[in-house]
Amino acid sequence: MDTSFLILVLLTLPVVWAAGLLLPIPGLQRKRYAWAYSAVTSAISLTLAVIVAMNFDWSRPGDMQLSGSIDWIPSMGLSFRYGVDAISLWLILLTAVIMPVVVLSSLIEVNHDMRQFHFWLHILEAALIGTFVAQDIVLFYVCFEFTLIPLYFLIGVFGHKEKLKAARVYFLYAFTGSMLTFAGVLYVGYVGWQQTGMWTFAIADLYDIGRRMSMTEQCLVFAAMLAGFGVKTPLVPFHTWLPLAHTEAPTAGSVDLAGLVLKLGPYGLIRLAIPMLPDAALAFAPWVCVVAVIGIVYAALICRAQKDAKRLVAYSSVSHMGFVALGLFVFDPDGIAATGAVFYMLAHGLATGGLFLCIGMLYDRFHTREFGRVGGTAKFMPVWSFFFMLFVLASVGLPGLNGFPGEFLTLIGAFDSGLWWSKPMAVAGALGVILAAVYLLYMAGRMVWGTPIIPPDHAGYLEGAEHGVDPNHRHDLSWREVTTLVPVAGLCLLLGLLPMPVLRTLEAPVQGLNKPVMGLVEAEEQAAGLAGGDAGTAADAGVVMQDDRSQATGLNGVGVAGPGERSQAIPLRVVVADGVGGEGVDGDE
Amino acid sequence: MSPEVAAYIPWVSGLSAVICGLFCLYPQYAKFAAGVCASAVGVGFVIAMGVWFSVPAEGFVNPEPLMRWIEVGRLEANYGVYLDGLTMIMLSVVTGIGMLVVIYAAGYMRGDPGYARFFAAVSIFIFAMTTVVMADNLVLLFLGWEGVGLASYLLIGHEYHRQAAVNAAKKAFIVNRIGDFGVLLGMFCIFDVFGTVRFEGFLPAASELLTGGNGSGLTGEAAVAFAQATEVLKQGGGWLLMAAPFGLMVGAFGKSAQLPLFVWLPDAMEGPTPVSALIHAATMVTSGVYVIARTMPLFELSPYALPTVAVIAGATAILGACIALAQYDLKRVFAYSTVSQLGYMFMGVAALSSTAGVFHLVSHAFFKALLFLTAGSVMHALAGQLDIRKISGLRHKMPVTFVLMGIGCAALAGLPVLTAGFWSKDLVLATTFDRAIATEGGTAFIYLMVGIVGVVTAFVTGYYCFRVWFRVFFGEERYEMGDHHHGGDDGHGDDHGEHGHAHEPHEMDWGMNGPLVVLAIGSVFAGLLLGPTHVVEHLIDKTSAEANALRVGDDATKYEKWVHNLMYAVSAVVAFASLALAFVLHGPWRKVEGDDPVRLKAPRVFGALNSKLWIDEVYAALIVYPVRVMGSVFYVVDAVIVDTVVRGIGVVPRLLGEGARPAQSGRLHGYGLGMALGVAAVVAVTFYAMNRGG
Amino acid sequence: MQDTMINSLTFSHYFFTGAVLFVLGMIGFITRRNMIVMFLCTEMMFQGVVVTLAAAAALHGNITGQTFIIFVLTIAAAEAALALGLVILLFRRRQTLDAGAWSELSG
Repeated sequence: MDTSFLILVLLTLPVVWAAGLLLPIPGLQRKRYAWAYSAVTSAISLTLAVIVAMNFDWSRPGDMQLSGSIDWIPSMGLSFRYGVDAISLWLILLTAVIMPVVVLSSLIEVNHDMRQFHFWLHILEAALIGTFVAQDIVLFYVCFEFTLIPLYFLIGVFGHKEKLKAARVYFLYAFTGSMLTFAGVLYVGYVGWQQTGMWTFAIADLYDIGRRMSMTEQCLVFAAMLAGFGVKTPLVPFHTWLPLAHTEAPTAGSVDLAGLVLKLGPYGLIRLAIPMLPDAALAFAPWVCVVAVIGIVYAALICRAQKDAKRLVAYSSVSHMGFVALGLFVFDPDGIAATGAVFYMLAHGLATGGLFLCIGMLYDRFHTREFGRVGGTAKFMPVWSFFFMLFVLASVGLPGLNGFPGEFLTLIGAFDSGLWWSKPMAVAGALGVILAAVYLLYMAGRMVWGTPIIPPDHAGYLEGAEHGVDPNHRHDLSWREVTTLVPVAGLCLLLGLLPMPVLRTLEAPVQGLNKPVMGLVEAEEQAAGLAGGDAGTAADAGVVMQDDRSQATGLNGVGVAGPGERSQAIPLRVVVADGVGGEGVDGDE
Repeated sequence: MSPEVAAYIPWVSGLSAVICGLFCLYPQYAKFAAGVCASAVGVGFVIAMGVWFSVPAEGFVNPEPLMRWIEVGRLEANYGVYLDGLTMIMLSVVTGIGMLVVIYAAGYMRGDPGYARFFAAVSIFIFAMTTVVMADNLVLLFLGWEGVGLASYLLIGHEYHRQAAVNAAKKAFIVNRIGDFGVLLGMFCIFDVFGTVRFEGFLPAASELLTGGNGSGLTGEAAVAFAQATEVLKQGGGWLLMAAPFGLMVGAFGKSAQLPLFVWLPDAMEGPTPVSALIHAATMVTSGVYVIARTMPLFELSPYALPTVAVIAGATAILGACIALAQYDLKRVFAYSTVSQLGYMFMGVAALSSTAGVFHLVSHAFFKALLFLTAGSVMHALAGQLDIRKISGLRHKMPVTFVLMGIGCAALAGLPVLTAGFWSKDLVLATTFDRAIATEGGTAFIYLMVGIVGVVTAFVTGYYCFRVWFRVFFGEERYEMGDHHHGGDDGHGDDHGEHGHAHEPHEMDWGMNGPLVVLAIGSVFAGLLLGPTHVVEHLIDKTSAEANALRVGDDATKYEKWVHNLMYAVSAVVAFASLALAFVLHGPWRKVEGDDPVRLKAPRVFGALNSKLWIDEVYAALIVYPVRVMGSVFYVVDAVIVDTVVRGIGVVPRLLGEGARPAQSGRLHGYGLGMALGVAAVVAVTFYAMNRGG
Repeated sequence: MQDTMINSLTFSHYFFTGAVLFVLGMIGFITRRNMIVMFLCTEMMFQGVVVTLAAAAALHGNITGQTFIIFVLTIAAAEAALALGLVILLFRRRQTLDAGAWSELSG
């Protein structure tokens, strides 16, 4: 059975359903009904996402599946092409999991235009999912840009004090960057048209076209793409919109922004820029990594100087996303770093999202999130403190929680990479591990531990309506809030202790997308004589000689369709410890 | 019991952590937390004992991992266990002493509002610590490594309403993180060289490199790792191999509180006393020693690694002991003593003798846990009073504690023949001198000096521990109650009425003293059992580390008889001398009541030691403040400069708009005209293009 | 006679007619100030375009142009309804049909 229609359903049904929020139904005027309606909407899309995941053949995670195409403007080569591989699917699942949580969380903070608020949330979700399923670059771009509109309203209408400035700055940054990206994309399409006389914007076709371009062209297009995706990621120094937007956004906006929208940047890089422009990616790699590492350390140091918990977490996002950028651009032979980076995208979404949710709940109670105005919560909000500490530790990168596998794989992959500059990068990036502990525990010390502090003007809040898990802790979380946090916390723990299902399925698509660059890296290594003449020794020692790994894993999906001319020269390579006790590793031959 | 079962030991404690965590939500069940935790640890101990018999005398077992954790590319790190003699000793110590301490804590913590939380954190600790000692790869070891750091953080900060506790907890975690940075780098180097982080893979390969073999004796993973390592070395990757032990070393020094990363351990005494006994004396802080013993072949490969360890160990040992003799706080004395004793353990491993290091680890676990718990009893009886200037002559009030602490002190000082400390400390010192004899040149000098420092430290050790004992239990009976109700909830001081705090110091009940007696027996007989009979040696000899040392053909492990006999004599003399000195200065007829004679004789030196040589202040000036200042400066830079520059770009469109503004007159006819002209222009251009093209 | 007339009509005649209609409409649009007249002029421009499209469709022998005409006519009708409504609204506000009375869009 052709199950590709599921993707279309996933994309459209929630939007249609959410549009119901705008209908003049009398009940929806009431805050709680609108909220409940929205919760149902997000539950529908979560269910659909799970159904899509169930119809995905997980044994071939690197292939584009459930793919289909609907003609749009055929004479321009535009069509509605969609499909998912494991990377897209995990990001879709992340989106679908975060959305219900976000909806659940925003009952108190938003106190006007509840319907409009939830409508924008679902539009944002649809745009995100659209970006992740897009297999046509124009469709990708349209969805990518479309995320701006709902976020603009979420921040600008429902934000805090400086919401208009924040919304404007965010829009300006993101829009300027992505205009350049679009120009780059169009240029690739134009080159394709010149070469073949046909317009095509299918991502798979553009891979071939991009790889055939000259070095200069590739670099220009790559720079254009980096402009858009780098602002979204964000890479230092184009990050200043982020703390502002986060601080002013409502909780839901922050969670969506940090958890999901930031992921569009790295996703664009690994889906489009790297496979399409391998030469340029390799040429740019050291610079991107330098910027990423500077971002890791610089933002971490800034975190230590913050007084506002939300701004601190916002800056920590900048620092953490530096790991992702680093992982994507070190190109280690096994793709460990890139796999880790993609995993870290998921992990960061959950951990940082959780932190924002917690801070939002605190803000709902005391209307402040500044150190010194509220603190010592362990005493009067033990349940909140538990969740907050869990997310803090996940962000710190404590093994056993979800931050660690991503961070660790990124760094070890960076260290393992054959590129000469990658080792110092890994060491400098590992400094971020220390700094993360410094600033996050500083925050925990001020917020959770110590003598209880409550803003004096909110002492009367004790009479709050719906609170009371434990009658002794009337400030503590309500069941609604616990329900909000439990899934996020559970996933943090699950992804930390058992990340294998995700890692295993991410490995193949990541390697597939990195394959053209890897070909170049190895060619470079061979040219440098590093690998020359050692093949014999390795064989003597009983090491398996094998063709390139990713071929052995049977990748033939869209992700690796038609490697370009340069990338065909993939040399033989020593593969070590590929499966313990695997073929012929006995030393006594 | 088949070895696979061992893999469940951590998870039993993990389950206990969850249950105790749930008890936090339902205070009516909190009283069961201790039972749950103790049974979990007990089950772990029983499994460990059962599994011991299935662990081969030589080599190791590495059953199929329980679950997969991380497998990407060549990197393979699963929940596997690696069982050999070293692991089993560590496992027994962790679960055995852990169980005793938990039983003690069940009484000690009674009345604490965070009772269930405490045992949840202890369960997390046991989970992590057993993971450290059983992990079959470095990444899983790292999970435990950070996990014990977390447990330590939570337990030091158990009384979170006290700012001192919170700061100490944060400091412990961050200093440990600095060490973890080293572990990460060490792990990266190992992975880069050997292509695996599994002990089964890189340890035999490293041994093979050490012996200069061609790898023909290796099979499976080790052969692959060896091949890759040969390859890497040929390509000039030797520096990675040299760097790896230094990375691990930094981690070990952080976790085991060696110079210069020891600053967190004394502050960690802010935690409840059972925690100090279990985590900050007996088990967690020894994991650094374990790691070095485990990865010994790597340390042997680098000519500078072990001498570096020896120097740091010697310096830490003497420094820790000296600072300890100038402390008035009962627990801080023992904390610095731990720092100093850990130095001995590192001395042992640095002298290529994991046997000595681990033997001292085991005996230290017994007597230091005993000392801390007896200190806890004193503190418990005196409502938190720890200042030895304010306690005196308690031996009639607390006779059992008096005897038990005496046994602990004797073991720490290494009084001859009976005590465990005597045998293990001797072995450490003797092997250090052995090593000095076996090597030449600078290395020999280093080991000689370290050995001499070790002997001096032994003297100081005996002095400071008996100083405490004499002061607390002898002389005129005099005490001041503390103001601090342990685990105190501010408003609940009267909860403690059941212990009779406010009235009289009293002996502990046997629920708390029972575990202490077991520890005391261990402090005495562990030495006799394990020392002269060479049980530990037989166990550890078979682990990779020692076996490899033998394979190199190094004489170091074939102990010279005369060195040992000499050491026995020297140690005995030193121990008794120190006892005598302490007796003279602090004995029952001591002249100066309430103050320390050393302080009166040499106030400057004493003051410097008392404020631990201002090392904390140095750290603050060199690291803490710069980080904070840089943060603030960067924040300003970020807010002002970067923002201005980037938003400056936003001005360009506005200027363009200003330029185009007059065109928008608002008159319809103007727009119409503009449109017409536009059409005309398009037509003109099209015509021109067509004519030129045609 | 009539036959010859018709036979002698070439495509250029149709294009010419379309162009004349369009240009007349445009001149009217620019020079007149009465909004209803201006609106009629835009309709005339539409018709010019439509004639051109019809001729081009016949010339190329496909129906794309004619399809487009249907669209244009539909939109013109809709637009007429909307525009007349707007004009009436504007008249009510200012009691004049002079386009110059409205210049709020001035930048």
